[in-house]
Amino acid sequence: MAYLLQHLLTESAARRPDRPAVAAGSRSLTYSELDRLSNQVARALLALGVAPGDRVGILAPKSAASVVGIFGALKAGACYVPLDAAAPAARLSGIMRDSGIAVVLADPARVPGAAALADGVPALHTVIVVGPSWGDEGGGTAGAAPAGLTVVGWEAVLAQPGGPVPAGPVIETDLAYILYTSGSTGTPKGVMISHRNSLSFVAWAADYAGLTECDRVCSQAPLHFDLSVFDIFAACQAGACMVVLPVRMSMFPVRLAEWIQQERISVWYSVPSVLTMLVSYGNLAGFDLSRLRAVIFAGEVFPVKHLGRLMAALPHARYLNWYGPTETNVCTAFEVPAGGGPPDPVPIGKACANTDVFAVAADGRRVSRPGEVGELYVRGPSLMPGYWAQPSKTGEVLVANPFQAAYRETVYRTGDLVTLDEDGNYLYLGRQDGMVKTRGYRVELGEVEAALYAHPAIHEAVVLPVPDELLGSRLRAVISADGGGLTREEVLEHCRGRLPGYMVPDVLEFCQALPRTSTGKIDRARLARAW
Amino acid sequence: MLEVTHLETVINDYISRELVQEPALLPLGNATPLLETGVLDSLTLLRLVLFVRERFGIMVDDVDVVPEHFASVDAICAYVRARVESSADQAGSRG
Repeated sequence: MAYLLQHLLTESAARRPDRPAVAAGSRSLTYSELDRLSNQVARALLALGVAPGDRVGILAPKSAASVVGIFGALKAGACYVPLDAAAPAARLSGIMRDSGIAVVLADPARVPGAAALADGVPALHTVIVVGPSWGDEGGGTAGAAPAGLTVVGWEAVLAQPGGPVPAGPVIETDLAYILYTSGSTGTPKGVMISHRNSLSFVAWAADYAGLTECDRVCSQAPLHFDLSVFDIFAACQAGACMVVLPVRMSMFPVRLAEWIQQERISVWYSVPSVLTMLVSYGNLAGFDLSRLRAVIFAGEVFPVKHLGRLMAALPHARYLNWYGPTETNVCTAFEVPAGGGPPDPVPIGKACANTDVFAVAADGRRVSRPGEVGELYVRGPSLMPGYWAQPSKTGEVLVANPFQAAYRETVYRTGDLVTLDEDGNYLYLGRQDGMVKTRGYRVELGEVEAALYAHPAIHEAVVLPVPDELLGSRLRAVISADGGGLTREEVLEHCRGRLPGYMVPDVLEFCQALPRTSTGKIDRARLARAW
Repeated sequence: MLEVTHLETVINDYISRELVQEPALLPLGNATPLLETGVLDSLTLLRLVLFVRERFGIMVDDVDVVPEHFASVDAICAYVRARVESSADQAGSRG
C-alpha cells in the first residue's frame, strides 16, 4: 500500500518499469531506472549515517538528477529541503542552519556553491554529487574537495547496490520535505510537510487533472515552490512522464511555445505570469499545441483579460484554477467553463476532495451566504504539522476549529479574505496582512523591511505593494536614511546580499521622514495614495 | 536620424545600471553571457525589450525575443543594428 511518497515510485516502477518517468532534453529515465538510481542515492545517504527524520538539502535545479536525489532522500527516510540556488548565500546558509542540514545532494554544477556555503553551516559535512552530465554541466565528479567538506562523487553512488532499500521506521505522519517561505519578521519559515499531507494533495490532483500514464506533465515551478509537488509526485502516481522545462526557457515565450509543441506537453502547471507572457508574446497561432489538454495555474490571481485570450488561443484545453497556501498545498479548485470567456474574477472554487474549507467573518460567524466576507480556514489531512522550530508562529495559524465543540480539531487560518458567489464557489478578495505575491512568489513585506533595517544608515523603511498586472505586485520601498550619502545602488546591493531577486524592491524612494498616523505609526495608507 | 554609434555603450550602461544584481559582474563586458549569469530573467528581459523599443524606436517582434539576440551586449547590438537597417531600408523604399 502507498502511504509514503516513495511508494508511488516503487509501485509505478513495478507496474510499468519501461515507461518514461523523467524526460530532460534528449535523455529520459524510465521508471525502473529512476527507481534503481534513487535506491543507490538512498544507500549512499544511509552509508553516511543519515537517519530517518534527518533533513537533506537538495541543491539542484529541477532536473532528472534532482528527482533522483529527492526520491533517494525519501527512501533513506529523510526529509528533503530544496535550496534555491538563486538565493543569496546568507539566506541559504540561514535556511541550512535552521533545518540542521548535514548532507546536501547537489548537481555537479552546484558543488562549488555548496562548498561556499559550508563556512556558514558548521553542521554540513558532506555533499553527494547527483547525476552525471544531464545537460551541459561537465562530468559527474566534483573536482577538489573544499576543506572540511567531504564530496561523494556520482561514481561512488553508482557503486551502491541498486535493489530496494529496507524501509526504516518511517510512517505517513513523518516529514517528507520542508519548503522555506518568506517570514514577516525577517527570517524565512520552514513549512513542514508530511508524507500524508503530500499524498492527500497528490491523490486529489492526479484525479482532478485526469492524469494517465500517457500524459507528459510540465510544471514550470522550481523545487522550493510547492507547485513542483505536482509534476514530481502526481505524475509518478499516474505513471506519467514528468518533462523538465529547460532553464530559462520560460523567459522566451516563442521558444517556450515551440518547446511545448515539440515535447508534446499534455498537462501544464505554472504561475499565471508565465502564461500571460506566453499568450502575449508567444505567437501561439504559429504552433500546434493541440496536445495540451489541461492548463493549470496557481499562486496568484490570473488577470481575466489574459486568461480569456489564452482560452481563445487554445480553446481545446481545460483551464484549472488551483488555490492553496504552501501550508496546505492546493485546497480549493475551480474549472473555468469553456466558451464565453472566464468569469471576472475567476473563483478559487470549492474544496478539494478530502479537504474542507470554511470562512469566518469578523463577528466570528461562518460565512454562508453569497457576498459575506471572511477569512478562509482549511481543515483536512493536507495541513502542515507546523513551521520548523517555530512553535509560536505555528500557533498563530494552526488553531482550534471554532465550530468543532466535541474535541480539539486543528484547522489552518490562511489569512486570505474570501467571499462566496451564488454557486457556492469561493472568491479571493485579498490579504489581511503584509504578505503579497510577486510572480507567484510569496513575499512578506516585513521580511523586506527587516532587510532594509539591517542597513546601518537606514533609519526607517516601509515596503508597499504596487499592483502590477503581469507580476501581481511590485515592491516599492520608502526609506529615510541618516545623513545624505546613501545611494540607491548601495541600498539595492545591500538587499541583494540578503534577499532573493524577487524580494528586492523595484522602486526606491528616499524621504526625510516617513509620514505618521495620529497614533504614531507609519502611515502606509498615505504613502500608498501618494504613488 | 537614428543614432547607432556608441550603441554598445548605451546598452551596456542601461543593463549595468538597471538590471545587473550581482556586483561581481561589474564592469560588464560586452561579451559577458547575460543569460547564464542570471542578469536576464523573465522580468529584466521584459524591461530590456521595452527599453530597446523605446530608446531606438524599433519594433521587437515576439519571434525575435530569443536567446541568440539577447545573449550578450554584443548580441543585442547586432540585433538592434539589423532592425534599424531593415526599417531604414523600408523607409527608403517608400520614400
